[in-house]
Amino acid sequence: MMMRGMIMTTESQTFTEKYDLLGCIQCGRCTGGCPVTVRADLNVRQFVDDAYDEEKLDELARLAEIWDCTACHTCAVRCPKGLKPLEVLIGLRSLIVESGKVEPTVRDALQSVLLEGNPWEKSRATRQDWMEGLDVRIAEPGEHVKNLFFVCCTNAYDPRVQVTAKNMIKILNKAGVDYAFLPEDESCCGSEVFTIGEEGLFEMIVEDNTEFLNEFSADRIVTLSPHCFTTYRTHFPDLKLPVIHYTQLLDELIEEGKLAWTGELPKKVVYHDPCYLGKQSGVFDEPRRILKSIPGVELLEFDRSRERSLCCEGGGGKMWVESESKKERLAETRIKDAKVLEADIVAAACPFCVLTLEDAMKGLGYEEEMRVAEIMELLGELIED
Amino acid sequence: MKTIVCIKYVPDTSEAEVKVNPDGKTVDDAKFSFDINDADNYAVEESVLVKEDKGGEVDVLSIGPKQSEVMIRMAMAKGCDRATRVEDDRIADHDPLMVAKVLAGALKDQEFDLIFTGCWAEDDGHMSTGVALAEYLGINHASMVKKVEVLDGKVKAHRELEGGLMEVVELELPAVLTIQTGINEPRYAPIRGIRQAQKKELNVVNLDDLGLDPSEVGSEASLVVLENLYIPEVESAAEFIEGEADEKAEKLASILVKGGLV
Amino acid sequence: MGDVLVLAEHRQGSLRDISFEMMAIAPRIAEAMNGEVKVLLMGSGMDDMAKKMSEYGAKVIVVDDPLFENFNAEKYQKALSALLDDLKPAVFMTGQTAQGVDFMPALAVEKKLPYVAEAIDLNFEDGTLKATRNLYSGKVNAIVSFKPADTCLVTIRESAVEAPEPAASGDVEKIDSPLTEDIPYRKFVEYIEAEVGDVDITQSDILVSVGRGLKEDKNLPVIEELAKAMKADISGSRAATDAGWIPHDRQVGTSGKTVKPKLYLALGISGAFQHLAGMKGAKTIVAVNRDPEAPIFSVADYAIVDDIFKVVPALTEKMKELKG
Repeated sequence: MMMRGMIMTTESQTFTEKYDLLGCIQCGRCTGGCPVTVRADLNVRQFVDDAYDEEKLDELARLAEIWDCTACHTCAVRCPKGLKPLEVLIGLRSLIVESGKVEPTVRDALQSVLLEGNPWEKSRATRQDWMEGLDVRIAEPGEHVKNLFFVCCTNAYDPRVQVTAKNMIKILNKAGVDYAFLPEDESCCGSEVFTIGEEGLFEMIVEDNTEFLNEFSADRIVTLSPHCFTTYRTHFPDLKLPVIHYTQLLDELIEEGKLAWTGELPKKVVYHDPCYLGKQSGVFDEPRRILKSIPGVELLEFDRSRERSLCCEGGGGKMWVESESKKERLAETRIKDAKVLEADIVAAACPFCVLTLEDAMKGLGYEEEMRVAEIMELLGELIED
Repeated sequence: MKTIVCIKYVPDTSEAEVKVNPDGKTVDDAKFSFDINDADNYAVEESVLVKEDKGGEVDVLSIGPKQSEVMIRMAMAKGCDRATRVEDDRIADHDPLMVAKVLAGALKDQEFDLIFTGCWAEDDGHMSTGVALAEYLGINHASMVKKVEVLDGKVKAHRELEGGLMEVVELELPAVLTIQTGINEPRYAPIRGIRQAQKKELNVVNLDDLGLDPSEVGSEASLVVLENLYIPEVESAAEFIEGEADEKAEKLASILVKGGLV
Repeated sequence: MGDVLVLAEHRQGSLRDISFEMMAIAPRIAEAMNGEVKVLLMGSGMDDMAKKMSEYGAKVIVVDDPLFENFNAEKYQKALSALLDDLKPAVFMTGQTAQGVDFMPALAVEKKLPYVAEAIDLNFEDGTLKATRNLYSGKVNAIVSFKPADTCLVTIRESAVEAPEPAASGDVEKIDSPLTEDIPYRKFVEYIEAEVGDVDITQSDILVSVGRGLKEDKNLPVIEELAKAMKADISGSRAATDAGWIPHDRQVGTSGKTVKPKLYLALGISGAFQHLAGMKGAKTIVAVNRDPEAPIFSVADYAIVDDIFKVVPALTEKMKELKG
């Protein structure tokens, strides 16, 4: 169990102060841009307005739609006052979390993060089972390495997306990159813990992971998931090492001529910008340059791309909370858009996007003519062992 | 209303590969994740619900290692008031009757109205400890309880039989109820609650502290001997049923019926 | 000489399967111990049941007393305590059932006798009685031996063995009830039947679960018929609940419910990690899917690679036939 730092935080701020509710001018750009509004009865502007009234908070927290937010950050990107309206919803969620009355699925995911360092209810001791048979270097504190890899719980445990990490090792070994993966003490970055609103657990993760990661000597930390990437960048002020996403590393390697693809991929590929990589962290061009470097690839663009990319609904704790809405999932909308573009492959650089988009693709019955793939999946097929 | 809830720290082996150690009597638990026994988690929730409804206090009692304290703190974060953790490797823990004897010993000078335990432990699955505990204490019990109604000096317990059939019994207090999963929806223990629970009283004791004679609860006292453990020969991979669709269905039906699965 | 005394279980006028199943074990142990099998029936008005049990070639001892009309652990314990003293069996067995687990541990404590719960097999070797039982949800077996005692107490797991065919007829003997008066501290109140239509899949024993392979809701009756024949509840993957084929409260998986049925029949479910996480605790998993590479097969105990619409109707017919 990870409970290294158990420091009490003071709860001196009011809700209004904490989320700077008075800074809101009620312009409505947040709700206007919110992708979830087409699917669920969620009006984030209204919540920001209503939350001024501290006495109303408990009532607001009990509304089911606070769990519809996917934490895509479109509202924060669009807010002219630089506020983060979504965090008001997270603040309301935290009231429920503190009462303990969360959905059993959320309860089990949070408890698993506390006890095993991952939200998937898997044993910590099996976190590196995916590495079996691979020639991979494990980092040790004090031994310098250029690129220190943080694998992410989902990539480590979900067999569907383990391929991301496995292919990464294949490519790194081939390109002779100086790298090492973190040992099995690596714990969840807390991205979903934060958006679910378990503030105490998230504070603990920030403290523990900062201490853990600061023990290692490296030029930088490379994350495989945009969720870990953005979370480390924005919520870990005392982290000593810079953090990048793997697409940034690969883009560098391609630039330096260290990667050579064998074979080609004569397909129409459309790139889906993950919210946590694009609109939250500004990484738009690197994944596109990687895809363009593949011989044969015709790179397409969604109408809604880059900052305007449509969320797949994988974030914001949504892997553990089902929306009450029966309307079309955003991932289905996304796949239909890709179909209109006649894309052969929908490529993403995020485990959650891959899972939700692929599910939608299968649900729509496009399995014969379309494929959803992690960029690493495509690259792995273009490199010799 | 004073309630005691007895809980156990167990490994989750549903997905793990289980290996028997060279001693032939223990398993290699290095790769297991541990947590509160599932049914005990429901027992904790039920004890807190009774406290919220009737007032009073809840004490946690557990036999287990230091690492299990996180489970105890979680129970306290949910509303349990204090805890006793018994740690002593002289207890014959392969025998639920010896475990029950230790629990009874830890409760001997205490007053209480109700004792909750889980009805079943995920690891050894005897379904015996709670009922044996009641006998050692000389009090009433009901096992596999799926609904609890606390009355004046009595408790009405709905025992879950099979196929959803309930047997309702009425017991005079004090009584031990062994709780079935699904009786309630266990709440989440938020970290802030767990931190606050660090301040609650947790006593760690051994057999000597409890005034129990190790020879009364050790393997010499147990009337059963754990001879050895072995991994049963089961095909780990799925058995693929072959043939035409009709034949496959027929074969499957006979497997299900013969195996007592339907 | 060592007799084996079997307490037969019955409820609401019918013998339960475990009573017959124990007759697959008891005679073998009695023979090894140079004793005989005796079946004990406690209840009120049990002539038919006594006759039925006597057809297994054992002597049936009947305690007919209105005090035993409904099961009551305290009364059973009191009566059995006296009966064990009288009959002095070397082995006393009953089922690991809601009934057996409610009094056997207490009886063992009271009588200071060795007790093993939920044996799946029993053997008598070199003068020692040994029980085999499961640990860690069946991943490990333990051999547990009984120290020498007047009577060894054991419960047998339900469905661990097949009930034998009736062999020869035995005698039925009625004896006096050891109980003279009712007890005040535990009272049977009533039986409550489960409400129909009120399905909580986390509590289901058998789940027939459908996924994307169902294709459309007009195919649902095929599944419902199978569920009916198997006395199962219906659940679904996220794809099935999303499509509206199955109610949302019956979704299995990380964003739905975690289920632990005895039998989980996955029909047309490929088995995403998030689905598997919700049903990994099922005791037996059967998967039917057209795709031989479907991940569901990695957790299945029995697998059929085929179209569910070919397999399910045939399976329904067979189940009806076999279960009568």
